Amino acid sequence: MDTAVHLDGITKRFPGVVANDDVDLAVERGTVHALLGENGAGKTTLMNVLYGLYEPTSGRVLVDGAERRFDSPRDAIDAGIGMIHQHFMLVDPMTVTENITLGNEPTKWGGLAVDRAAARDAVVDLSERYGFDVDPDARIEDVSVGEQQRVEILKALYRGADVLILDEPTAVLTPQEVEELFEVLEELTAQGKTIIFITHKLGEAMRAADEITVLRDGRNVGTVEADGTNREDLAELMVGREVLLDVDRPPAETGDVVAAASNLAVEDDRGVRVVDDVSFDVREGEVFGIAGVDGNGQSELIEALTGLTSPEAGRIEFLGEDITGSSRRQRIESGMAYIPQDRQERGLVMNFDLVENALLGSQHSPELGPNGRIDWPATRDHAESIIEEYDVRPPNPDSTSESLSGGNQQKFIVGREFSREPELVVAAHPTRGVDVGSIEFIHERLLELRKEGVAIVLISSKLEEVQGLSDRLAVMYEGEFIDVVDPAGTTEEELGLLMAGERPDEDAPDQAGQSAAHTESTDAPNGGEHA
Amino acid sequence: MRVPDRIQTVLERLVGASATERILISTAALVLSILVGAVLVLVAGRMTTCTASEAVYYFGTGFCYDPVVVFDRLFLGALGDPFSGGWSPDGQFSVTLRETTLLLFTGLSVALAFRAGIFNIGTQGQMVVGGMATALLVLWASSLVSGVVGTFLLVPFGVLVGAVFGGLYGAIPGLLKAYADANEVITTIMLNFIATGITLYLVSGAFKDPNSAANQTVPLPDYAQFPTVLFGGRQDFSLVALAFGVVAVGALYYLLEHTAFGYDVRTSGIQPDAAEYGGVDAARTIVASLTLSGALGGVAGAMYVMMILGSFQSGVPSYGFDGITVSILAGNNPLGVGFAALLFGVLKSGTTVVQFATDVPPQLVGVLRGLIILFVAMPEFFRLVGKRVTDTGSKVVATDGGTPGGEADE
Repeated sequence: MDTAVHLDGITKRFPGVVANDDVDLAVERGTVHALLGENGAGKTTLMNVLYGLYEPTSGRVLVDGAERRFDSPRDAIDAGIGMIHQHFMLVDPMTVTENITLGNEPTKWGGLAVDRAAARDAVVDLSERYGFDVDPDARIEDVSVGEQQRVEILKALYRGADVLILDEPTAVLTPQEVEELFEVLEELTAQGKTIIFITHKLGEAMRAADEITVLRDGRNVGTVEADGTNREDLAELMVGREVLLDVDRPPAETGDVVAAASNLAVEDDRGVRVVDDVSFDVREGEVFGIAGVDGNGQSELIEALTGLTSPEAGRIEFLGEDITGSSRRQRIESGMAYIPQDRQERGLVMNFDLVENALLGSQHSPELGPNGRIDWPATRDHAESIIEEYDVRPPNPDSTSESLSGGNQQKFIVGREFSREPELVVAAHPTRGVDVGSIEFIHERLLELRKEGVAIVLISSKLEEVQGLSDRLAVMYEGEFIDVVDPAGTTEEELGLLMAGERPDEDAPDQAGQSAAHTESTDAPNGGEHA
Repeated sequence: MRVPDRIQTVLERLVGASATERILISTAALVLSILVGAVLVLVAGRMTTCTASEAVYYFGTGFCYDPVVVFDRLFLGALGDPFSGGWSPDGQFSVTLRETTLLLFTGLSVALAFRAGIFNIGTQGQMVVGGMATALLVLWASSLVSGVVGTFLLVPFGVLVGAVFGGLYGAIPGLLKAYADANEVITTIMLNFIATGITLYLVSGAFKDPNSAANQTVPLPDYAQFPTVLFGGRQDFSLVALAFGVVAVGALYYLLEHTAFGYDVRTSGIQPDAAEYGGVDAARTIVASLTLSGALGGVAGAMYVMMILGSFQSGVPSYGFDGITVSILAGNNPLGVGFAALLFGVLKSGTTVVQFATDVPPQLVGVLRGLIILFVAMPEFFRLVGKRVTDTGSKVVATDGGTPGGEADE
């Protein structure tokens, strides 16, 4: 066996954070290598080093045995490395062929015109060779997410990639599409391609990979054969010190119902019903978690709750009043804080500095925007206090939010939302992309708010997070609550099955839809049960 | 990857330019545009015929047009020849300020909409509607009061009427965009035609001045027009109107930067999803900003009627469209609109001076004007060229990637 890619002692530091700490990684040619770890473990950073997006602080990158220095992805592509990002880089109104050949189109008439026929032939050849099911003439906006992903893979192959890096490829896929993807990966490795596959899902790593390397806190904590390991061992490697379970979480002292949704239904832009007949309530001093594979309606549910989409049917109550028809601004003013999942689209205005961003949502508040006039000095003080308390780096209120790293953007949003003195916090992936130290800090603040009697709705793709913080945990699958469980008394495997859509048939009384029946005060001292 | 990479570097370079650099580059752009324009004038002068005594001689060759005279007239002429003695406030300088005043309002109108992320091409139509309404209602009101009191009442009344009607006319595309998802570029262009058509119909029929051959309303009495202060009245310029414009610049700046409404507008313009998240009602912001934008256009119409013409006449000059250029030139910043409107005012007024003073055809003067605006509006381009010249491609070699083992590319 020969080594296609060898990362030797890679260290990558960002100001204040060591993202990768002396990581070694050797990937054999013609295999699928999974890079497993929690969010923020440094998986993507490591691959960005390999792909030429980051320059390592120290360490060597060897491709086919030769040391290489990549100044840009261009260099990496030339060396036969392709990367498929989590968010696809495709031009929606253009066809599959155009997207694949974009930038490297075959030309005719001495380079004056694109040779469309040759481009199409090349794409057809390529997809036949690897047994891909794509329509070369379809527009990207018309094809499924799974097909878009195959187009991304073809794009990399078209540019001569021998090593393909896939960043969380399954996050956006349906279970069937995941299966199709794994078949594609098998076909690619059978033909000598090498795959590096970033994931935080144990099952997928076990299912698809030949070898698995686990990263934790930026360090390689072990490389194992997929056949010679089991989920328990992997989970232990991955989580290590049980960060979340160390949090001192006293039993919930729940009070009155703060927010309640009944028979809520939400449709997406295309009129597909993505939330269907969901009911739940959340009380003072309680964390209500919602788990599920991304794209099962969680985002739409919380957008309806926070007033960013209007539901097709159902009713939302907040502090005893029907707010189904009230505006986003009314909800903010009545004490609803929201940590959105798209921090760069919703949570922050990228071109604004942090002072201006500290105002977002409070521009009409009596503190910062009295009588329609903005109190900029007070806003600046507010921004500075968020920066200080939440350790936002660089600690400069005049820097634009665009110039901050994702983790620091997140800390700023969390700080801003928590400082609203809310009655209800809706938190979507509150620690996504945040370093380990700050994750604990954010969790502690969340639990402090809970102790103060704030109601919290939490969604997270990190199972450990929702499991560790929630007092009650709903599992969402294809727009419905498939079950509401006591997270302390449920194993990760059981949750995984629920998230995959397997209904809890023997647990008749605890069925979905019954969620309004509040689970008994969850006084189980959580500890046990993890993996 | 190559395209985003390149855009990235372009952006980095743009961000990197300091304030001094920007001023230098803008000045260089102006000088360069004059040099290019001078060449054009020379070439055009070579291609026409004139008598030997009329020609000027450079490098031993005779040219019919003299670029030095042309640019001297264009700039100094527009300022009323401040260096040659006998400068009078009531001369060409008044014309320049008159044009500037109107462009201030149309420029602000476009800039406000732009900041809200809306391309208001309808300022022209809003100006026409505002002007027509001002003419008719002030004419009606002028029968009720007269004299100095009349001026004090009628001029603010006329501006208000212009603002209200312009605003209402601006609200139409706003409502269509907010609640029917109609593209404002198309609706505002169409509403421009509608405004022109309807006012022509009214002013050539029901409201036509029976004593005039032109399609115009009965002239307003003098006391219902902007008073002339300091500057004589020969050039239809009123310092009061200009002062009003300067106040509008300051007010709009304050509105955008220091009020919650301005914050809502800017946030919606730059990142609508974040605005929505922050509790901004997108539909209301669209309607409000287009209404306000229309009101500013309407005030330009009121100024046109009450300061320049003294009546409403069909065929309103294209101040509204010039406002688009003014706004873009100013980067849609209200304070910048002040300077851009002045530059535009100078060029517009200077053009007529050039036509009086030289034989240069008006089309050529138009080209020179266009060149100046083009060059000044593209400082980014020049900044890039400047940067590229300074650091000669250290990065150029590295992009060819090279073969395995060939790490010697740095």
